[in-house]
Amino acid sequence: MNYTPLAMFAVTFIALLGGYPVALTLAGVALLFAMAGILTGAFNPGDLGFVSGRLFGIVTNQTLLAVPLFVFMGVMLEKTQLAEGLLTNLSHLLRRFRGGLAVTVVLVGMLMAASTGIVGATVVTMGLMSLPVMLKQGYEPGFATGTISATGTLGQIIPPSISLVLLGDVLSNAYQQAQLNMGIFAPKSVSVGDLFAGSIIPGLCLVGLYLIYVLGRGMLPGNAVPAKVDEPDDGPSLLQTLGALFPPLFLIVAVLGSILAGWATPTEAAGVGASGALLLAMWYRRCDVQKLRQVCESTLGTTAMVFFILVGASIFSLVFRGYGGDELVQAWFEQMPGGMWGALAIVMLVIFLLGFILDFIEITFVVVPIVGPVLLAMGIDPIWLGVLIAVNLQTSFLTPPFGFALFYLRGVTPPEVPTTSIYRGVVPYIVMQLVLLALLLAWPGLATWLPSLIYG
Amino acid sequence: MERLRTTAKLVNQMNAGLARAIRWLCLIMVVVTLLVVVLRYGFDVGAIAVQESVMYMHGLVFLLGIPYGIAQNTHVRVDIVHARLSATWRHRIELAGHVLFLLPVAVFIFVMSLPYVAASWRVLEGSPEVGGMPAVFLLKTLVPVMAALLFLQGLSEIIRIALAAGGDEEPHMTSSAL
Repeated sequence: MNYTPLAMFAVTFIALLGGYPVALTLAGVALLFAMAGILTGAFNPGDLGFVSGRLFGIVTNQTLLAVPLFVFMGVMLEKTQLAEGLLTNLSHLLRRFRGGLAVTVVLVGMLMAASTGIVGATVVTMGLMSLPVMLKQGYEPGFATGTISATGTLGQIIPPSISLVLLGDVLSNAYQQAQLNMGIFAPKSVSVGDLFAGSIIPGLCLVGLYLIYVLGRGMLPGNAVPAKVDEPDDGPSLLQTLGALFPPLFLIVAVLGSILAGWATPTEAAGVGASGALLLAMWYRRCDVQKLRQVCESTLGTTAMVFFILVGASIFSLVFRGYGGDELVQAWFEQMPGGMWGALAIVMLVIFLLGFILDFIEITFVVVPIVGPVLLAMGIDPIWLGVLIAVNLQTSFLTPPFGFALFYLRGVTPPEVPTTSIYRGVVPYIVMQLVLLALLLAWPGLATWLPSLIYG
Repeated sequence: MERLRTTAKLVNQMNAGLARAIRWLCLIMVVVTLLVVVLRYGFDVGAIAVQESVMYMHGLVFLLGIPYGIAQNTHVRVDIVHARLSATWRHRIELAGHVLFLLPVAVFIFVMSLPYVAASWRVLEGSPEVGGMPAVFLLKTLVPVMAALLFLQGLSEIIRIALAAGGDEEPHMTSSAL
């Protein structure tokens, strides 16, 4: 057995900790390994020849066209403070309920996560918008910070976030490959739309659990949630509030709905959603040339970042394959006690641990193409696998001490709030996510029922 | 010394200038995608070339945005350890990364993609779709162009760090694009 792929993985991991940009570290370490292998005769230089095809494949990939458009939509909603307006209005609407603000944070966080799907951005924005208000109203800091970090990570599982677009594309390739390896030459396919549909019920379950918890803490004895605030009734009227809530909600529902109903491809829906965000911003007079330039600049940066990782990960997996990494993983999985479940458990554990240092994008592009085909060939449903990965990563991002939603939130939390109280605050949310994971393991139908209903 | 600094500055300005121009394509992509949808569902017109133009814009945006991202430091890093290091160590890592990773990767992509691009130019490769844009050879050319710009940006970063280390303090170049 040749253990070079394993060494390559380990060296890459250590090099990543140095903090040099991930995309270049992935590609750079792989190239160094390839060079060493060519010199010692352990690596066939012909294996590198596939790289051009891969790179042109990235440029012409139709599914991933949705990424810059979704990023544009999310950045537009964020930079023009439309999301913030949503928070203000909704919390005003719910001011009569104890814990109304926390409920608002969960709901707005869900919508923001759905429209961007970038954990760091959602956590920071939600933290800046809502943490000062929550603390001022007397919410216990641990409870407040826990709620905000948990809702910030919802972007992993609530469609139409870009993380699900990326995962959908990678899984669809892995699924094709798994079936070809098994000698099925008319393979079934899985699409981004399938994954969107599959993640809706689990995502809403999770939001439901969050809401029950938030409201429950308000009813239980204790001082996590302040008694309801007697705000003067001088805010906007109910009608005005609903009027302000409607457009952004409509936007997200329309985007998602048109994909699920099969009227539009994810790319088309993303384009319409981004145009909608642009129109909304102009309607509310929040958008001038200056703002537009910022949105474009930010979209450019994020898009280049995502695709550069894809480029780096392609070079990495090319060399990994060239060294027989695929066979190694497959042989390893087949020896695993418990068969499919053993392999699935180990993959989930590895992804959970990688989630401590790597973002969704890197894990999707590096790990899923390696383990995906093997797992899928063992008979695992691709949609179920995708949703499991998403929920698993979301939990990883939230788990102290390394979960990086916590780092982002720490950055925007006042120093008086100790880090330990943030840690304590997220524990109930981690438990809820583990409950969801357990439910998914017990009833795969939670993820697979809706897609089979919609797409047959 | 002076010439080196001018070169570095020139590279930065070139990549920043390109980025300033192509970032507007993000907006145009959004509008054109809307147009495609309206044409298809409103008027039952399938405009393949218009649809493909989004792919071309997307290619320009992300490929030419990559070297600019190096200059702007927008590429994602693992910063658990990095954030706790001293400036000296960060500079060393940066320098090592540029020399060991960035430059070889740029050369690799350039060298490997060139024959394919040349083949594409020889037949002036067009779209696989009927009525598509007849410029696939130009789209493919963007890959080696990206690699070349990435290489230059890497050299520029190396010069900047080396000059700063030599006591010749040069403020971090960030374009005031925003």
